[in-house]
Amino acid sequence: MKRRLMGSDYACQYRAVDSPIHRLPAGWKMFISTALSVWILVVREPQPLLLATASCLLYYFLARLTLSDLWRDTRFFLIQFCILLSLFLYRLGYPAGLWPGIRTSLQIILFFIPGIVFLRTTQVSSMMKGLRKIVPYRILFLLFTSLRFVPFFAREMQEISLAQKLRGARLSPRESFQPIFWRDVFSCIILPLLVRAMKTADEAALSAQARGMGSRADRTYYDVRVLEAQLATREKTRTRTDTTPNKKLTCQKLPIKRRCETNEK
Amino acid sequence: MKNNVQFLWNRFSMREALLLGFCATFIVLTKATLRMKLGISGHSMFFLMFFLLLARGIVPKTGAATLVGLLAGSISIALGLAHKGPIIMLNFVLPALIVDCAGILLPNLTSRYLTCILIGGIAAASKGLSGALIELFAGAPMKIVLVKGLIESLGGVLFGMLGSLPVPAIIRKLQTNRLIAYSDNRSQQRTGDESQV
Repeated sequence: MKRRLMGSDYACQYRAVDSPIHRLPAGWKMFISTALSVWILVVREPQPLLLATASCLLYYFLARLTLSDLWRDTRFFLIQFCILLSLFLYRLGYPAGLWPGIRTSLQIILFFIPGIVFLRTTQVSSMMKGLRKIVPYRILFLLFTSLRFVPFFAREMQEISLAQKLRGARLSPRESFQPIFWRDVFSCIILPLLVRAMKTADEAALSAQARGMGSRADRTYYDVRVLEAQLATREKTRTRTDTTPNKKLTCQKLPIKRRCETNEK
Repeated sequence: MKNNVQFLWNRFSMREALLLGFCATFIVLTKATLRMKLGISGHSMFFLMFFLLLARGIVPKTGAATLVGLLAGSISIALGLAHKGPIIMLNFVLPALIVDCAGILLPNLTSRYLTCILIGGIAAASKGLSGALIELFAGAPMKIVLVKGLIESLGGVLFGMLGSLPVPAIIRKLQTNRLIAYSDNRSQQRTGDESQV
């Protein structure tokens, strides 16, 4: 269990540990990642490349990521490394093609490492917070809604698959090399899933529009921080009015939810 | 109830935008499922091309596939399914852009088998493009970049063509069941038939 918590199940998975890189704001991490990636692409000589490699690895291990994490993240590039090296050796010959082949392959692997560190050290919520400043809210709404519906559709897919299997559809992975499997996948799973998606889109759109989503150019919402600041100032004035009995506190401008809470108290 | 209020880019209604978002969700779901079970290069292009072309067929407007690509890339990054880091976005957006460009030239793209397979193959070939760009910037010779891109794209093209094969049949089924509107010519024919009756 401890090992499971400390390690990661798949490449680029967020790793919940405390490190200097984890504590950096998402914008800074993005900036560092871009700068490192550009630097790696620009260098050509062995010494600067060595320095870039060291910086990249330092950035990676500063995020308290382990060697097994590094292996998980970069193993996809090994095939690419072999193909590229063999192509260089084929074209330029044995001694001449070795260094350019290794250099280019290494540069490509290193190019992806800062981005991987970004994904491994940044939570989705922090990414979204950063995105809020750049991306229009309507696209963010779509993104959040799509993300929200990932488990919903995964569950739907499982349920549809189970129901269709009970009805005799040939959907077992053993039959995946037979044409009937793919016919059944499309007619028995994908098609019902699409119909379900259309219905869900209808309902969700209706529900969002009923709440006024998309009716204004800017997003409108209750900001909790503003409400709390208002409440704090009101509390201050209340304490002042308590000391001066002539002035009465008026609570009418407080938001409804807060006003009810104060009444309950 | 008709949903004609334009929600995104003065083009898509909220229902259409959400439907495209769900298509992006399906791309990510199938990608995650296949990643666990298959180990063949380019297999992710199968469902990517299928859902991109399907999205273009369900919402026949320019930009529909691009929006799906953008959302699918963002969801993959957010869920940590991007083994290449944020660059993975290009793998989703480039084929989507090709599908949209083809949609401008061929409005009935998704209702014909031949155009579907052809565009599916061309769009899937862009799989190696992001890698090729990085290799070019890293200083690799053009010939090597091209050969490597060809090797990498081959599997993608094959799977992309296979993935785009069932799209016209599914679009027709959805049209027959009146879940989506017919394309222009057919809808005119249909309304003509109905008025004659």
